[in-house]
Amino acid sequence: MSNIAVQRIKREFKEVAKSEEGAKCEIRVELVNDSFTELRGEIAGPPDTPYEGGKYHLEIKVPETYPFNPPKVRFITKIWHPNISSVTGAICLDILKDQWAAAMTLRTVLLSIQALLSSAEPDDPQDAVVARQYKENYDVFLKTARFWCSCYAGAPKQASNGFEEKIKWLTDMGANEQVAIRTLSSSSWNIEKATEELFS
Amino acid sequence: MADNPEAMPECDSESSGARSRKPASNTATEQSDPPEGSMFECNICLDTARDAVVSYCGHLFCWPCLHQWLETRPNRQMCPVCKAGISKDKVIPLYGRGDTKHEDPRERLPPRPPGQRSEPENSAGFSSFGLDGGFQMSFGIGAFPFGFFASSLNFGDMRPASPQPGTPQSEQEQFLSKVFLWVAILFILWLFLA
Ligand SMILES: [Zn+2]
Ligand SMILES: [Zn+2]
Repeated sequence: MSNIAVQRIKREFKEVAKSEEGAKCEIRVELVNDSFTELRGEIAGPPDTPYEGGKYHLEIKVPETYPFNPPKVRFITKIWHPNISSVTGAICLDILKDQWAAAMTLRTVLLSIQALLSSAEPDDPQDAVVARQYKENYDVFLKTARFWCSCYAGAPKQASNGFEEKIKWLTDMGANEQVAIRTLSSSSWNIEKATEELFS
Repeated sequence: MADNPEAMPECDSESSGARSRKPASNTATEQSDPPEGSMFECNICLDTARDAVVSYCGHLFCWPCLHQWLETRPNRQMCPVCKAGISKDKVIPLYGRGDTKHEDPRERLPPRPPGQRSEPENSAGFSSFGLDGGFQMSFGIGAFPFGFFASSLNFGDMRPASPQPGTPQSEQEQFLSKVFLWVAILFILWLFLA
């Protein structure tokens, strides 16, 4: 790894820790190995979103050519969001691609991802299924995103929408729980549709 | 600064606090951290800028850092901070006094673009170009029409700072030079006929 990359990551570490957002535990980074090539990020779900109360872990891979090329970031924590793959955690965000600028830092990247959670762009989706639900059935989208947040990101459980019962019904039939949640979410919690997709 | 006792404590606490971490001899401490929140950090490596250049949008970089950024995306060159258009020719090198002790940074690779020195303009203002032209014309016609004819052909090149094409200024200038050209031609014809 180039000297400038290591130097920068070290500085950016301090920057995140000292930042206002870092002090409020809204963003965090930690090392995964000693070589500074892989980091673990954490962002808090922003208030007034279905992600509120959740803690989201991110995989951050620092390329050899950092900061001239962007870090590779993906969600480890599962999330239901039009611009984030519900399967792989891949993020569709311009600053992580062609809008990257060398003056951006881990702090600005984490804050941009946090901002993406507050303002989805369903017309430029990463996950087409989620994006369609967002546009066609926003209420179900909100409930599903909220459910995933309590399921995977540690947010407190909310009033049941009958989701648990539907999941149990499918797992009793032999489906894997994660697969059941994904299939039900994708079919907007239509149990017939989900059953058909899983067992036919 | 020292004359104003009110401003001293505030100013002092910030800068001397930062400075006290650096001993006076700067040879041994070149690798040490720059003062926190320094204004002279390169926006790319976040270290104190070396071989510093500043973009027209006012952002400071090490020349090697900016050069590498421009090389990374040759077809979409933008300021790494504000994303304004930027290029090799659109940065200004900064020469601090301490610079002269070291070797000329331009001899190192990649070369830092040279500073551009334009003559100060003695008459400011928008309309002065037109007035200048008018004066040149009457002088040229009176004294030596052929000389003027030649000089009017070189009109654009002779200006120390000729305006960008497409601006109202350059249109105005082009119009004037055409007018002068025709006046000169008519004048020459009149000389022959007379
Ligand atoms: Zn630099
Ligand atoms: Zn700029």
